[in-house]
Amino acid sequence: MGIVFTRLFSSLFGNREARILVLGLDNAGKTTILYRLQMGEVVSTIPTIGFNVETVQYNNIKFQVWDLGGQTSIRPYWRCYFPNTQAIIYVVDSSDTDRLVIAKDEFHAILEEEELKGAVVLIFANKQDLPGALDAAAITEALELHKIKSRQWSIFKTSAIKGEGLFEGLDWLSNTLKSGGG
Amino acid sequence: MEKLGIEKTSSSYTTPGSRACLLDLLCTETPLWGCQGDLYLLGPQQRLNKFLSESGNTICADCASPDPKWVSLNLGAVICIKCSGVHRSLGVHVSKVLSVKLDQWTHEQVNSLIDLGGNSTVNMKYEACTPGNIKKPNPDSSVHERIDFIRRKYQLQQFSRCDQLITPCPFPAGYSKCTQKAQSFSVISPPSPSCLQNSKLYDKQATKTRIGNAFRNSWVRKEFENKSCRKKAALTNLQAGMVEFVGLIKVNIVRGMNLAIRDMLTSDPYVIISLGQQSVKTRFIRSNLNPIWNECLMLSIPDDVPPLKVLVYDKDTFKSDDFMGEGEIDIQPLLSTARANEKSGMANSMPLDNALVKNSLIKLVDGKVKQDITLRLQKVETGELHIELECVPLTQ
Repeated sequence: MGIVFTRLFSSLFGNREARILVLGLDNAGKTTILYRLQMGEVVSTIPTIGFNVETVQYNNIKFQVWDLGGQTSIRPYWRCYFPNTQAIIYVVDSSDTDRLVIAKDEFHAILEEEELKGAVVLIFANKQDLPGALDAAAITEALELHKIKSRQWSIFKTSAIKGEGLFEGLDWLSNTLKSGGG
Repeated sequence: MEKLGIEKTSSSYTTPGSRACLLDLLCTETPLWGCQGDLYLLGPQQRLNKFLSESGNTICADCASPDPKWVSLNLGAVICIKCSGVHRSLGVHVSKVLSVKLDQWTHEQVNSLIDLGGNSTVNMKYEACTPGNIKKPNPDSSVHERIDFIRRKYQLQQFSRCDQLITPCPFPAGYSKCTQKAQSFSVISPPSPSCLQNSKLYDKQATKTRIGNAFRNSWVRKEFENKSCRKKAALTNLQAGMVEFVGLIKVNIVRGMNLAIRDMLTSDPYVIISLGQQSVKTRFIRSNLNPIWNECLMLSIPDDVPPLKVLVYDKDTFKSDDFMGEGEIDIQPLLSTARANEKSGMANSMPLDNALVKNSLIKLVDGKVKQDITLRLQKVETGELHIELECVPLTQ
């Protein structure tokens, strides 16, 4: 799967570098997604205290994915990593309905950041494998995605555990970046 | 005392250079709740700390690791970071995990936690009838042992009812590999639909995580190294982000003084800081040899505590950026002081014991362990940086 990932990006980006931040509340599945994308494996994670960053060099492409910890007191530090970011992957635990309001508030706070004005946004409605997970339409509503203005965005249903939806999302992301977004 | 601007989760970002930091969060609780009656004379965090110091709560409910810093709010269990990872993987419908130190607690949350009675009560319930051949995980247990036990304990609730006899949860064939031993006992609750679904999920984790774990967590890395080194080539690439963190360091790049000239008359300086394999940089400031960045950067401290490296460059548009000097800061003393401070739990106003600090550069300000540094840049004709460090140890 990692190879697919590589090829996908190398074919679309040429020599470009892309810096991508993976954000979302704690336990949304950010780290699992990062390593699922990179290794094609499901890893057992512990809470990310700080961040994981993976720089992957494929052919002439430097692809940097930052997975930042989502605990309440780490979120204020997300902004330290905003400059020069082409895309945000915002991950939501679709089964954690109690905290969707918080997820929405954090999401819209990010979009207001000046430094992310040009970044495209990919939303992963993750944990579709769990009982009670809301679908993409319900997450779209809960996050009030219709309020997003002058920015390219898309939402995908994903299950990092099953490996579903992730590459469809990246497909969209790479096409969007390639066509000049971000 | 300053409050961290995260009380409202939205628009919560602190401005660069603001003094807000994790320690604020740990220290925000002031006895201002008095108006609400005796119960709230203490802040939520203080009430939580009191609860954590009660017997039974000083070790992980699942593996008995000392000084656990994570909580399953709905189950009422105080757990270690390793077990918290397993709890999280079960989904919030089974266990809602909060961090004692990194989440902001409300009185309501502390109330509901206290109502559940703490680890002793929780274990009396969920381990009421643990079969003799089931061994609880210990602090050194593998992730597989933890996953197996924690799933059975809370999700399947196999140990909570003595009167139930039972068909084994129908794990797929591949499952037996790492749980053969555990499966040999016969008290298992009836399979539920979620059991079926999750056993599938579990199988995937059990078989697939072996390599991933090694990457992700240094505590299983050794185990991995003994096994076949599939994807070894990838390993060197991958270790960057996958280190165990022992703390966070907040680096405020305040300003530069008398920096070197790299363009015609001036420079466009920016600063890169790196710790281990992590690296972040400030924005560049155009045409200024005494730039004020006042920019906060956060790095996680890996367990080998490498020195903090500082590099200054001149931003150029059409050629590669020019070097403007470098420096190195040993953060071990700061970390040690922060750890000692945390252990002693000393009040904010108490003077810091400087035994650990040779140069007395490290100070305790409102409970925050800070260090002010003026760094003379090396390998360059001129230039100094003023940097403020703040360290938050994480004993998880």
